[in-house]
Amino acid sequence: MSALLELAGVNKHFGGLLAVKNVSFSVERGEIVGILGPNGAGKTTLYNLLTGFIAPDPGAKIVFDGHNLVGLPPHRIAGLGISRTFQLCRPFIGMSVLENVIVGALGSRRREGAALDAQAQALLARVGLAGKEGVPVEVLSYGDQRRLEIARALAARPALLLLDEPFAGLGSGEIADLSTLIRQVHGQEGLTVILIEHKLREFMRLVGRVIALDFGEVIAQGAPEEIVRHPAVIEAYIGRDSPIEEGAHAA
Amino acid sequence: MFNKPIDLAGAVAFIALMAVLPLVFGGNYLIGVLTVSVIYGIWAVTWDFMSGLTGRENFGHSLFIGVGAYTAGFMNTSFGINGWWSIPAAMVMAALAAVLIGLPTLRLKGPYFALAMLSGAVIMQRLMLIFWEQTGGEEGINGLTPLIRSQLGFYYFALAVLVAITALLLFVARSHWGLILRAIRGDEATCQAAGINVTYYKIASLVISAAFAGAGGAMYAHYQLQVSPQLFAVVTSITIITMVYVGGMASIYGPVGGAILLVLLTELLRNFGEWRLMVYSCTLILILFFLPHGLVAPMWRRLRSALQAGTSAPAPRATLPLAADGAAREAE
Repeated sequence: MSALLELAGVNKHFGGLLAVKNVSFSVERGEIVGILGPNGAGKTTLYNLLTGFIAPDPGAKIVFDGHNLVGLPPHRIAGLGISRTFQLCRPFIGMSVLENVIVGALGSRRREGAALDAQAQALLARVGLAGKEGVPVEVLSYGDQRRLEIARALAARPALLLLDEPFAGLGSGEIADLSTLIRQVHGQEGLTVILIEHKLREFMRLVGRVIALDFGEVIAQGAPEEIVRHPAVIEAYIGRDSPIEEGAHAA
Repeated sequence: MFNKPIDLAGAVAFIALMAVLPLVFGGNYLIGVLTVSVIYGIWAVTWDFMSGLTGRENFGHSLFIGVGAYTAGFMNTSFGINGWWSIPAAMVMAALAAVLIGLPTLRLKGPYFALAMLSGAVIMQRLMLIFWEQTGGEEGINGLTPLIRSQLGFYYFALAVLVAITALLLFVARSHWGLILRAIRGDEATCQAAGINVTYYKIASLVISAAFAGAGGAMYAHYQLQVSPQLFAVVTSITIITMVYVGGMASIYGPVGGAILLVLLTELLRNFGEWRLMVYSCTLILILFFLPHGLVAPMWRRLRSALQAGTSAPAPRATLPLAADGAAREAE
């Protein structure tokens, strides 16, 4: 079976800065892949390249489900079945929670017209926002905004879900809930998930494979337990010649 | 939540009031003022449909009004075409102008669209003076034929058009289409990430807004029986925006009330002589200062929840600031 997503030779310059350097990797259907890296490693830039918000330097190859994504506008890429969340929550201000999720479904070609409201309500119940349908998004707590982002992204019925630091700013209880949700979505629908994260411990338990980035380059790929022991990763996070201890440093 | 029976009753009451006013007070002067207020109502709703919903401020709505009016003027006087053809022709020309300005500027973020609309209107006003041999310059085009001979008849026609346009735009605004327009106001990047072609929706809503504003322009031309470059004036656009603010942005129906209130206010203040503009401006500032969400739509919402509480079982939730009726709530 060919990979769901395949990147080869992806570069991105911002002036003299090489934000993403010759990145190549592939993601199989049904995987949960984590992208790990210190601040400024190019993780979010990579998402922006994948989703068409910024264009890669010439020569890049990004193929999703047999479609070449390079040069497509964001809405077309989303239409092919890639949903994303944003690092800083970006809900539709001025609208209710339910309306936010409905809009998430409107751009999808796979929607089934009439049941849109019911579907959105079911999604909200699933992410734990039942009873808050009519609430204006501005008054939601940070944790609830994160849940809403995921509900909105799922509403489009994607084949690939890109989560950008879904745990950022959440308490440990909320992180556990959210991980459970991501596992459920992955398990029940066979959704392929890529997530960017800093919070090592939860992240490592959730993902099946890790791609570590530093200064825009892939420095290591492999199972979570291999990655935490990988010398290049340790160096990227805590420098050379330091005692190795899992987790806490990177959080 | 909006409540269908109460909203419908409100609309019927409004139409009945507007229809009866000239019969009770009579006089061509009042009919004239009401006709102008109703045409401004058309311009205000159409502005609100695009700019109120998507949050992309259009500072040159007068461009579409002028294009519509001059289309009517040329067709009716130079070619002697029956006045009723003016309205569809004006809609087409105004829509064309919207595509020409929207296509390059609505793809971009930032103030380009607002500035392009503003300068588009100013340029058109200049062009009307530069090509005075064709356009009549400062004098404009005179001698248009009236659409309906009776003043009262034309007023009722204008009122019917206003009601039809408002009903149509309200219907669209409350559909999924309108939800997408409001989402664009909320966050454009998230819309794109949800697979929505943001540029398409912005241009399409501008074209719809422009077409109906152009129709209003043609009606105004056939009411004044002449067109002049003043139609393109920036003041007209600003007046329309003020009406929308007073009415309540993004509510669609509010701006109709805002337009009628402000036109009537202008007339009532004639007694103040030279103080008129000052009183008018101060009233506006007070309204906008104390009622940042406008006057008409928020008042109607309050009245509606009072009526709801009165008719049905006690509904304590009706007074909560729920977003279900959030069409009008501002993103501050």
